[in-house]
Amino acid sequence: MVDAAGLFSVLVTGIGIGALYALVAIGFALIYKITGVLNFAQGQFALLGAFLVVVLSTSVPFWMFDVQVPVFAALGLTVVIGALLGVALERLVFRYFIGEPVLSVVIVTLAFIGIVDGGIRFFISSQYRAYPEALQPSWSITLPYDTSVQAPFVIGVILALLTVAGLMAFFRYTVLGSILRASASDQQAAMVLGVSIERTIVVAWALSIAITSIGGILLAMSSGGAGFTIGDITILVFAAVVFGGLDSIPGAFIGGIVVGILQEFGVYLEEFLMPGLESVLPMVFLLVVIVVMPYGLFGTERIERL
Amino acid sequence: MSSGQADEPPVVELDNAEIVYDRTFLAVQGVSMSADRGDIVALLGPNGAGKSTILKMISGIGRSERGEVTRGSVYYEGDEVTNAKTNEMVDRNVTHILEGRRVFEDLTVEENLRCGLYRGGRRIRYSKSDYDIAFEYFPKLEELLDVEAGYCSGGEQQMLVIARALIHRPNLLLLDEPSLGLAPKLVVDIYETLREINREEDITMIIADQNAKETLEVADYGYVLENGQVELHDPADVLMDREEIKEFYLGTSSEESRYSEIQHYKIRKRWK
Repeated sequence: MVDAAGLFSVLVTGIGIGALYALVAIGFALIYKITGVLNFAQGQFALLGAFLVVVLSTSVPFWMFDVQVPVFAALGLTVVIGALLGVALERLVFRYFIGEPVLSVVIVTLAFIGIVDGGIRFFISSQYRAYPEALQPSWSITLPYDTSVQAPFVIGVILALLTVAGLMAFFRYTVLGSILRASASDQQAAMVLGVSIERTIVVAWALSIAITSIGGILLAMSSGGAGFTIGDITILVFAAVVFGGLDSIPGAFIGGIVVGILQEFGVYLEEFLMPGLESVLPMVFLLVVIVVMPYGLFGTERIERL
Repeated sequence: MSSGQADEPPVVELDNAEIVYDRTFLAVQGVSMSADRGDIVALLGPNGAGKSTILKMISGIGRSERGEVTRGSVYYEGDEVTNAKTNEMVDRNVTHILEGRRVFEDLTVEENLRCGLYRGGRRIRYSKSDYDIAFEYFPKLEELLDVEAGYCSGGEQQMLVIARALIHRPNLLLLDEPSLGLAPKLVVDIYETLREINREEDITMIIADQNAKETLEVADYGYVLENGQVELHDPADVLMDREEIKEFYLGTSSEESRYSEIQHYKIRKRWK
């Protein structure tokens, strides 16, 4: 019953969908790494990105404003709007929680799940909206065992890899990247070197929401359009990030891929075993990771000198 | 001892400054002090005397702990900087080395040094030669570049925070308890190096330390604080010869040692 072709297909599809999770997970890890906030509304910001493309490239209006621009301009604008939204979130909301207990910030992010989700339903659409033709690429890559990979997954894998490499180089080799990590580890000591904590948090949110928007757009492309199921990925993304170590960018990437593969493997096993494995497997994995390796793959273990 | 010119304003001057935390806790009351260009000024006194608080309000970092200069003024090179932000003081070349060897633990030694180049985001590029000033005074750091700072010894971490501050190219360096928790030999080394840096790089320093002997040995001028007020102030060599200092801080009174009495007196004084 278990055949090589089937497993290979699970692996390939899993990596494809996992790369899309990875993009959202990187956004999640970025905020945690720099600001210490667990943003449980990350999936909703991916959802918003997916729907913004609909608003900008089709005749679906935003409230009473109907905007329509060429498809590729819409993609670029969505990412820019994502970055600006990140800036706005820091300015209007999260700035006031600097120094507050983590729990109250987490609850604010939980509130944003409802606010963003409801906002999209109110201002844009409460239904699935198909993407324009140009964003439904039909090409695919054919691999051995007649496994084909759809265009959104191919683009996703490439973009996720580029994002990880870019961010790692940024954090490792630039002055700004080093100081961002520094202020995550000791805010005051970074401030006396001239760091503005507000500014570092703005950078984190802007980068994070922009990257997450890209993930959201690709997730929508992989199903032909924007639907509210995209918002449900937050918990999968959380599993991915915990596996990677919460504050690690490459960890979030690998975690995303692993969660994608597990999910696909669950789908594959459902044929023989029981339904629902698709959602059970990644969550069991999350529990095991938390118990067995609380710092994840690459997480920062606090150094305790005795 | 002062190498400053007569017509040049002091690098830092506090005029009758009162510092309050959280609008309720009076930490420093009516302190006047100054540091002339090129001097090392010692701030001495027991825990809670207000030494750190004064440094924090000069660098502005005290604002992040809800500290505020509620009366009096602070001047930097003649300009009033009362309650200025940390960013503004960094722009004016003030660098603060916080108490407790605050290295960025999960960054390597090199990355820690690199952070000293940041200065409000104007530096993008860097090269190894940017670290030369650090290696000149702390050659040992060159061997530790790839080590995570959290794994360095206490002495190495103290060298690292001073080196990081040097890369920041300060005009005024504020040091909070640089000798805390270090072996006596290391304390002497650190202070000798600080003196050398002060002379060679023309960096004015204010050093807050409980370790009166080592601090006064390199300092030009000293202030002794108690309960948020200046109790004594004099040139360092004069201060070192004063009976009160000998008795309470150096433990080298010419009279018979009366350790128990001293302890008793100090405790009473603090709680009065």
